[in-house]
Amino acid sequence: MTTPPPHELDVRPILAQGEEPFGAIMAAIDALQPGQALRMLAPFRPAPLFNVMANRGFDCADRRREDGVWEVTFTPQGSGPADAGMAPGSAPGAGFWPDPALVLELIGLEPPEPMVRILEEVTMLEPGQVLFALLDREPMFLFPELAQRGHEWAGNYAADGQSYRLMVRAGAKDD
Amino acid sequence: MPGKSLSPWTLSWFGSAMIALLLALVLALAAGIGPEDFDRPEALAIVHLFALGWLAQVMLGALVQFVPVLAARPLAFSRLALPALLASSLGTLALAGGFLSLDGYEIARPFFLLGPVALGLGFAMLAVMILATLVTRQTLRLPEVRMVLVALAGLAGLWLSGAAMVSTLAGSRVAVDLSQALPLHMLFGIGGFLTFAAFGVSYKLFAMFLLAPEAASWQRRAVFALAAMMAGLMLTGLLMLAGDAGITPLLIAVCGISLAGAALYLDDVRRLWQARRRAHPELNMSWSRMALGFLALSVLLLPFAIWQGGALARASVFAALVGWLSTLTLAQMIRITAFLTWIQIFAPLIGRRKVPTVQSLTHPRRAGLALTIWSLSAAIGTLSLATGFHAGFRLALCGLLIAATQILCELVAIRSLSHLPAPERPGLLPPLILPAFLKSQHSAENQI
Ligand code: HEM
Repeated sequence: MTTPPPHELDVRPILAQGEEPFGAIMAAIDALQPGQALRMLAPFRPAPLFNVMANRGFDCADRRREDGVWEVTFTPQGSGPADAGMAPGSAPGAGFWPDPALVLELIGLEPPEPMVRILEEVTMLEPGQVLFALLDREPMFLFPELAQRGHEWAGNYAADGQSYRLMVRAGAKDD
Repeated sequence: MPGKSLSPWTLSWFGSAMIALLLALVLALAAGIGPEDFDRPEALAIVHLFALGWLAQVMLGALVQFVPVLAARPLAFSRLALPALLASSLGTLALAGGFLSLDGYEIARPFFLLGPVALGLGFAMLAVMILATLVTRQTLRLPEVRMVLVALAGLAGLWLSGAAMVSTLAGSRVAVDLSQALPLHMLFGIGGFLTFAAFGVSYKLFAMFLLAPEAASWQRRAVFALAAMMAGLMLTGLLMLAGDAGITPLLIAVCGISLAGAALYLDDVRRLWQARRRAHPELNMSWSRMALGFLALSVLLLPFAIWQGGALARASVFAALVGWLSTLTLAQMIRITAFLTWIQIFAPLIGRRKVPTVQSLTHPRRAGLALTIWSLSAAIGTLSLATGFHAGFRLALCGLLIAATQILCELVAIRSLSHLPAPERPGLLPPLILPAFLKSQHSAENQI
């Protein structure tokens, strides 16, 4: 199966003209081929849209690029062979990331300690390097923070449901 | 997952609930309520300020925060959170005020009817948010999620039974036999709604705070099955009320299910406790154990409450509302407020500067003292109700008020980071209970 490349939609010009991009986004969604993702560029994190898209059967992955632009990818649920079984919100294509430069064993730590450790470590990585972490549970408060800082992540529960596996790919260095 | 973070209104729900708690206790002291006065309209008003204003609001606020975590997706229709809070607060005040019309204050009468309407609206908005978030094929498999759904069915039954009684008392054509409706109503409120919701939320919270494995057990599935059966029986009971049939056999069945369900739930928590990886559980967990003791006590009193009514019924209700549900909520609320405050303020600073621990936002000794006073007073109150001991009950009310005030002070201290040494505090703090929207992004975000 070949998946068509994501359709790209830049809503910044629309917003710059003071107009509502919602119609353009919905039109783009309706025009997608089966399995095709939508990659949207926006000047801010379009949080209200995530819910609308989740209800239409799309998973969302967001990150802030180095230039401050938010890149949000909406992937139809259950598509993309490389990403099968990943938790909603995981970056597409994580199967092709390089081997982890760092492995963190974070089992048995109380929240938010795992989040602190991951954020501290990922700050030290070079852009593009990958960190792998093993946790007790899904670190739900970590994800918005990673996105805000421009890092990508992909994760899921191990088959027995007893631990959570997380990969984080460092974005550009912040501060 | 995008947006899978703080629900901005959670702390507003908590704040509103704390105010109702203090108000209920102050009024109970001021109105001179004793063990014999529970049928007085003032007592009805205070009971509902406590049950709806404090417990129901804090539980619903917690669900709004918690349901997205359970479902691993953002809260649906999150814009309804504020109108739902306003409607349920107004409805509670109106219902409480309306009860006074039973004492002949005619001006309060319109409020008596307004109360159920506003409460119904608020509950409906919450149900929409929670259901639309939870109901997906993956999440429905989780016993915790199913438990929350049963609690919503309990909430519906609670509202129906309450509204039917209000309609009867207000002298309208829709009338039910109050002596039959009341036990069902109390079982819906305490068991079907609040306790089931507390079960659903506590599985996840306990596993997290004890660092115990999350996987569901057979006990959990059995508790869910019993809860669903109990909700079904009680909803049948509502129909039977409408048809003027006697519901005593049904109440006996519900009583048996409650005993079995509570025993299985307690066994499940014991299992989590033993499998924990954290050697010394924190304050919130040790006090939750106390709450579990009150759960056992109130369920053991239940057969007597149903058979005899009267003093033992009041003791059972008090042990459940004040001992079990309130102690659990207060203990967890302190911990959750500290956690949410920490995330809100320090998460963006991780890796950029040294961040304090969550624990350093709290003052465990002070919170522990307050929770000791609370539980002791709950025990004294239960005993005094069972024995009709007036002075003991008044003493218990004083203790509860002192403890609640202490806890409120501790919550404010946590929110304003006042336990942290000054150099570790950031200059600008978020508002105490209102959401802190990102000002610069807010206007733009609303366009999408
Ligand atoms: C969690 C929520 C609730 C709980 C725990 C609860 C509990 C109780 C209890 C314990 C009583 C008996 C009080 C006494 O005898 O002193 C009672 C009576 C009553 N409740 Fe509620 N209640 C809840 C919600 C509601 C709601 C939402 C309504 C209305 C829509 C309502 C309407 C009534 C009425 C009208 C009575 C008086 C019945 C009579 O005079 O015999 N309640 N409730």
